[in-house]
Amino acid sequence: MFAAFAMSVVALLWQISGPADAGEPAINVRSAELTASNDGYYLDASFEIDLGHTLEEALTKGVALNFVLDFSLIYERWYLLNLWNKTVANFEQRYRLTYNSLTRQYRIAAGTLTQNVDSLREALVVMGGVRNRFIVSRDEVDPEKPYTAELRLRLDTSQLPKPFQLDALGSKGWNLSSDWYRWTVRP
Amino acid sequence: MKRFWLSLRTRGGLMLAGTVAVLGAVVLHLLSATSADVPTFAQGLPQLLLAGLVVVLLLMLLTGYQLLMLRRRLKQRVFGSRLTLRLVLLFSLVAVLPGALVYGVSVQFLARAVDTWFDVRVEKALDGGLALGRNVLDSMLKDLRGKADTMALLVSDRAPRQQLALLNMLREQAAVQEVALLDVNGTVLVFSGDEQSGLMPEPLSPSVLRELRMQKAYSGIMAQPSGGLLLRVAVPVSALGGELVALELVQRVPDQVSRNAEAVQFAHAEYQELAFSRSGLKQLYALTLTLALLLALFAALLLAIFFSQRLSAPLGVLAEGTRAVAQGDFSQRTPVRSYDEIGILTQSFNAMTRELAESQGETQRYQTQLESAKASLESILATLSAGVISLDGERRLRSVNPSASRILEIDLTTLVDVPVGRWSERDARLAALAAPLAAALAGPLEDDWQGQIAYAGSQRGLTLLARASTIRQAAPGGFVIVFDDITDLLNAQRQAAWGEVARRLAHEIKNPLTPIQLSAERLQQRLRHKLDTTDAEMLVRLTQTIINQVAALKGMVDAFSEYARTPETQLKPVDLSQLTREVLGLYEPIGPRMNLKLQPGLPSVLGDAVKLRQVIHNLLRNAEDAVGTVSEPRIILSIGADPTGGIALSVSDNGPGFPSDVIGRAFEPYVTTKPKGTGLGLAIVHKIVEEHHGRTRLENLAPSGARVTVILPPASAAAQVTSPSHRAANS
Repeated sequence: MFAAFAMSVVALLWQISGPADAGEPAINVRSAELTASNDGYYLDASFEIDLGHTLEEALTKGVALNFVLDFSLIYERWYLLNLWNKTVANFEQRYRLTYNSLTRQYRIAAGTLTQNVDSLREALVVMGGVRNRFIVSRDEVDPEKPYTAELRLRLDTSQLPKPFQLDALGSKGWNLSSDWYRWTVRP
Repeated sequence: MKRFWLSLRTRGGLMLAGTVAVLGAVVLHLLSATSADVPTFAQGLPQLLLAGLVVVLLLMLLTGYQLLMLRRRLKQRVFGSRLTLRLVLLFSLVAVLPGALVYGVSVQFLARAVDTWFDVRVEKALDGGLALGRNVLDSMLKDLRGKADTMALLVSDRAPRQQLALLNMLREQAAVQEVALLDVNGTVLVFSGDEQSGLMPEPLSPSVLRELRMQKAYSGIMAQPSGGLLLRVAVPVSALGGELVALELVQRVPDQVSRNAEAVQFAHAEYQELAFSRSGLKQLYALTLTLALLLALFAALLLAIFFSQRLSAPLGVLAEGTRAVAQGDFSQRTPVRSYDEIGILTQSFNAMTRELAESQGETQRYQTQLESAKASLESILATLSAGVISLDGERRLRSVNPSASRILEIDLTTLVDVPVGRWSERDARLAALAAPLAAALAGPLEDDWQGQIAYAGSQRGLTLLARASTIRQAAPGGFVIVFDDITDLLNAQRQAAWGEVARRLAHEIKNPLTPIQLSAERLQQRLRHKLDTTDAEMLVRLTQTIINQVAALKGMVDAFSEYARTPETQLKPVDLSQLTREVLGLYEPIGPRMNLKLQPGLPSVLGDAVKLRQVIHNLLRNAEDAVGTVSEPRIILSIGADPTGGIALSVSDNGPGFPSDVIGRAFEPYVTTKPKGTGLGLAIVHKIVEEHHGRTRLENLAPSGARVTVILPPASAAAQVTSPSHRAANS
């Protein structure tokens, strides 16, 4: 009994770390860039989000989906591996996507801001777009040095109800995340 | 100390197990709480599962460790471990069987229960409710749309300046919340709102604006973040200047309706979500149950081990105590920890140990007393000059005191356990003692038995006085025999008796001798001249014979009385060698040759010089008499140190020696082998030597001859021995 339990847990863990197949839900970075303006640097990015069949169904069945956008700007030091990398700026943006079956609308909540849209496509576009997000002021970066920016948008499965978390352990249909998108920034 | 550590370790283990179990319970609680009011740190299911797994593994390790320890104790045959094992098995059975049963039933039940939640009718009712809500909202929207169309007609032919007043009026008429005129880019041109609305209407989304630009109306429902629903309609309006604008109407859905509709929507969404998560839910419950089962199982096992150990530990302690008692250690007290039957058992064990210790102390004290009594008795027996031996009921020798062995000159301790009848097998001399004893003790002894026994000592014959009596106390009827060497006593008695007899006889005989002698002399003088020569000659010869014989008789009587009435001995240090030379000076010219052997540097002896001279004289004369008939007479006089510490003077001759019937009592008076001896020579020697506290020894030599040895104590030793009695005599 216990052995079966342990084996199932091991199997679940194995599946999580396994490579993603095509045709599954996916988030791809369409574009991402840091643009300089007079006072500092701003992030513009756009993601292409494909919820996939399972997540879409879950959404329409009333499950709230939480997305997290992670961004950090790092100054990479060549010595001491990467332990002493200096994070110049980072932020984490949370989105909550819900479906209202009465009004047949999708709602995106980011902090206190909410937005209702009529279609899923629209909702995904809204959520997948980052416009003019202030990152860091000009005097905080050294213009002589190269920086690395990294960006990722993912579904936060830990915010799902527990039964779905259990499902998520077993299935790739529930694991939605973009890879880390990294690019070098030269201010 | 060891017990303390053991208890501490079990206590620590128990605390660890308890902590782990509590952790497990927390994890279980978090796992089973599927609602939203779970703390954020416990949101991640994988982490929770891992935590549960770790807890179960920890409990497993603890249980395994405890079982391993139990096995080791079983192998070491620690007392109580088998009981622990049995209790563990019993407890485990009691804990595991119901647990497994409940688990099986729960899993089955849950799977069915989850399925039964999802009822088609409920689903349909919820769907219907939702559809109803939608329909109500749709019809309200349609109504609003109609109002919007009417308003659009009225608004379209008014100049912008008049529009605000118109809109206000229309809004009041239509009882809508907000009315606004917008251009196709979404910019508000005119806005009229009631007291509940904000300053500006919410902006239209780009897609709506696009529709409007294409002359299409928009109607939709907005859920407000604060709750409540808003109906929103936007219709294209051709303004006066041919410019396309949009009229937007916003109306609040009545609270009652919106609340109900939202309730239906919420329930529907929840139901849908639950239905969708059905398989996951089942798995989650099964997992949680499994974890709970494992936790309960191992916790129960641990508890079982702990309680079993607690139950059997006092037994082990008791066993230890019993072993200690068996080895004679009564000092161990088992602490009483509980007040149940084991506690009572421990208490009574302690009481028993205490009593044992007390009684053992008593026994020991008694034994010590007995031993000291025995030791004192033994020392008394050892210092007793009389010989004491004891026999058991079977007439076997049981104990003997040193004096007995000394008197008999045989180590009697080798005869222990040998019956009286067989003593003579060891040493023939013992027959003299054993035979009368065996005869006397043949039956039960009514009165004390007493007898005189002649015993052959190595130097002289001994006379023993033995007395046997029954030991009243001993059950099998033992005997104690006391005997003493009374030889000296007898000798003294005999000599005293002889002395008395001799004095009286001498007196009685001597009295008539003088008249006889005088009469004979007178007869001779008176008649010699009156008779003729032949008769006179005869008379002289006869009377002379009478006179001579009377004189001889007188001499004899004198010698006799001398023996009986010896003067007081006066002991002084005497050089025996010097004395001997003086005596030999008298003998030198005549008689047989005499050799003198002197050991130089001898200490002087304590004695009376006159009497010692008589001793030497008597001995020499004896020897002279003995060698009278021998062709080559030889007399050797030697003085030397005796091995016993005294000084030995011995006279040996090569005469015929003592006849065997005489040798035993040659020192007694009137025992003689000589045709004309008084028999007093050696008796006097013996008497004088005894007065000097010395010893005499008599032996025949091979091939012929005899030796008489006189051993005298040296002056130093004798002074110590005799001085007290001497002083007493002088005073």
